[in-house]
Amino acid sequence: MAQITLDSVTKRFGSGDGAIVAVDDVSLGIEDGEFVVFVGPSGSGKSTLLRVVAGLERQSEGDVVIGNTLVNELGPRARNIAMVFQNYALYPNMTVEDNMSFGLKMSTDLDPDEIQERVRDTAETMGIGGLLDNTPGEMSGGQQQRVALGRAIVRDPEVFLMDEPLSNLDAKLRTQMRTEINRLQNELDVTTLYVTHDQTEAMTMGDRLVVLNYGELQQIGTPLDCFYRPANRFVAGFLGSPSMNFFEGRIEGGTLRADGFDYDLTERMQSSVGSRNEVILGIRPEDAAVHDRPSSDHEFEALVDVVEPMGSISYVYLRAAGQEADRTFIVETEGQRSITEGEQVYVEVPDHDVHLFDGTDGETIHQRRLKPDVEVTLQEEA
Amino acid sequence: MASVEDAAEPDRRLPKSTRKRLVETGRHALLLVWSFVVLFPLYWIISMSLKPPSEAIALPPDWIFLPTVYNYIQLLQEGSFVDAFLNSVFMISASVVLVLVIGVPAAYVLSRYDIPRQRDVLVWILSSRMLPPVAVIIPFFVIFRALNLYDTRIGMIFMYVTINISVVVWVMKAFFDGIPETLEEAARVDGATQFQAFRKVILPAAKPGIFSVAIISFIFAWIELLFSLVLTNSRAVTVTMEVYQFIGVRQIEWGMLAAATTATIVPVVVFVIAVNKYLAAGLSFGVVIKE
Repeated sequence: MAQITLDSVTKRFGSGDGAIVAVDDVSLGIEDGEFVVFVGPSGSGKSTLLRVVAGLERQSEGDVVIGNTLVNELGPRARNIAMVFQNYALYPNMTVEDNMSFGLKMSTDLDPDEIQERVRDTAETMGIGGLLDNTPGEMSGGQQQRVALGRAIVRDPEVFLMDEPLSNLDAKLRTQMRTEINRLQNELDVTTLYVTHDQTEAMTMGDRLVVLNYGELQQIGTPLDCFYRPANRFVAGFLGSPSMNFFEGRIEGGTLRADGFDYDLTERMQSSVGSRNEVILGIRPEDAAVHDRPSSDHEFEALVDVVEPMGSISYVYLRAAGQEADRTFIVETEGQRSITEGEQVYVEVPDHDVHLFDGTDGETIHQRRLKPDVEVTLQEEA
Repeated sequence: MASVEDAAEPDRRLPKSTRKRLVETGRHALLLVWSFVVLFPLYWIISMSLKPPSEAIALPPDWIFLPTVYNYIQLLQEGSFVDAFLNSVFMISASVVLVLVIGVPAAYVLSRYDIPRQRDVLVWILSSRMLPPVAVIIPFFVIFRALNLYDTRIGMIFMYVTINISVVVWVMKAFFDGIPETLEEAARVDGATQFQAFRKVILPAAKPGIFSVAIISFIFAWIELLFSLVLTNSRAVTVTMEVYQFIGVRQIEWGMLAAATTATIVPVVVFVIAVNKYLAAGLSFGVVIKE
């Protein structure tokens, strides 16, 4: 087991002016036994960063430390890591047993009996004891996934690296394996780096999230921290489904003038805004509300565009009554509420749930309010 | 709605099972005709080899005749055919091993590593097959004379490697391209060196491709005649030259020619049957392992 430190890691592909910066000056420390999820859209550099830790890519600048060893010059075989790949990368010509024992044969001097015993034990815990003589081609995707995990676990490495291991599974199996990986990680207590583009996986699995975009670090924090206290507009929009609604606007004397409606800023917001002119208002779909008639101050008229019933809830796509641009925003309502397309409604944007972002660089300038105990938890975690 | 009217009209087509059977029968008939086209020459040559010399080219042919192994016995007694046959088997087997030893690692490197002007290197390798053999035979002859390779087995082995290297490199590169790179990466994370990853993981996965190019190389070399005619004289004579010598200036020994031809088909058939189970996968290279 080991802690991992990344110090100003930069990875460029190509050279000169045509170089692509995949990872841009990322520094972070990962505790021993921690489950850290690298999350971001495709092209955010999350996989590259993982491969740098694995030693499969050599960083252009910066240091990688695993345990107490500076591993910059070490290849993957010397780093005592195990990796699970998106396509599982099972050796196609070997049986499950050979797949799982390959690493032990290569990296340890255990005798064959010990290797066999360890492989069998691990296979039993992973529920693939009956598949040991099969080859990868004879197994389903879920079974292959288990073998890939088993192959990593049997090595008893200092660090697990997982590169989108669930993305080739169907939705049901994915949820099941998500729980299973969580449980395994808790039991084994091995430092784990996990890459995903799926924000649900990120939220549910990680002790901490590392949110990346265009190779740059956006935020490091617990899932709840990143969700409720996003560092910028990108993180706010990336986490949560459906995404947070954003309204760009100009500040005119304590009022935010957005396309289609005006929003009166509270005193607290005004002090956060300071002298800025361009500000973006963010509100999550579950925090806004739809009313049939005016009922509060922070409210504006809107037309219902589309209704998506999900069962217990519905997503209502709305268009602000006076807006010029052809864009919609989403509000979550109770599933049993009857609402029809084309209807005129009043949308309430409660002031304590509003985030404000700088209009130019997207940095968060005003966070929503939380319940006192959540506030305390987040502060303790930080 | 059109579909409603259709449903109302009685279906004038044949019942589905009958149509299916018709299609099936048609398909089989077509395959049967094609098999006949392919196999008839083979039947002709084998039956000719089993006829006595007087009947070999009788027209109309004797469809029913008493088979005789006279031609084969003649062939064996002649000695030079057997020598050339064994000589070819040896030289060509050696050349296949050598071309794989050189070509497979080369293809792997071209598939996996960023080498400068990779495209040009590939086209350069292919260029060895771009000119018809006739165009290069004189330079070959001059070079062989200068290097004392004329009429030697080692010279012929080099020649076979030269004509086969491009097909080995190109087919194997395509094959390696189809094997995900994460396999080597997994092996390296598992503690293997780059070379071990190649030898223990990639090579076994590439087995079908290797057998395919081995067969293709063997056949290309086995049927080669022009280079043998120009580059050998007595010591390194190939089996194709022995077959060719039955076509004399004054007469063609049809029975012997047929027997020799039949005999040369045998090793190829044996080789293909031996590695048949790898071949099907190999010829569909690129699609075998991709998930």
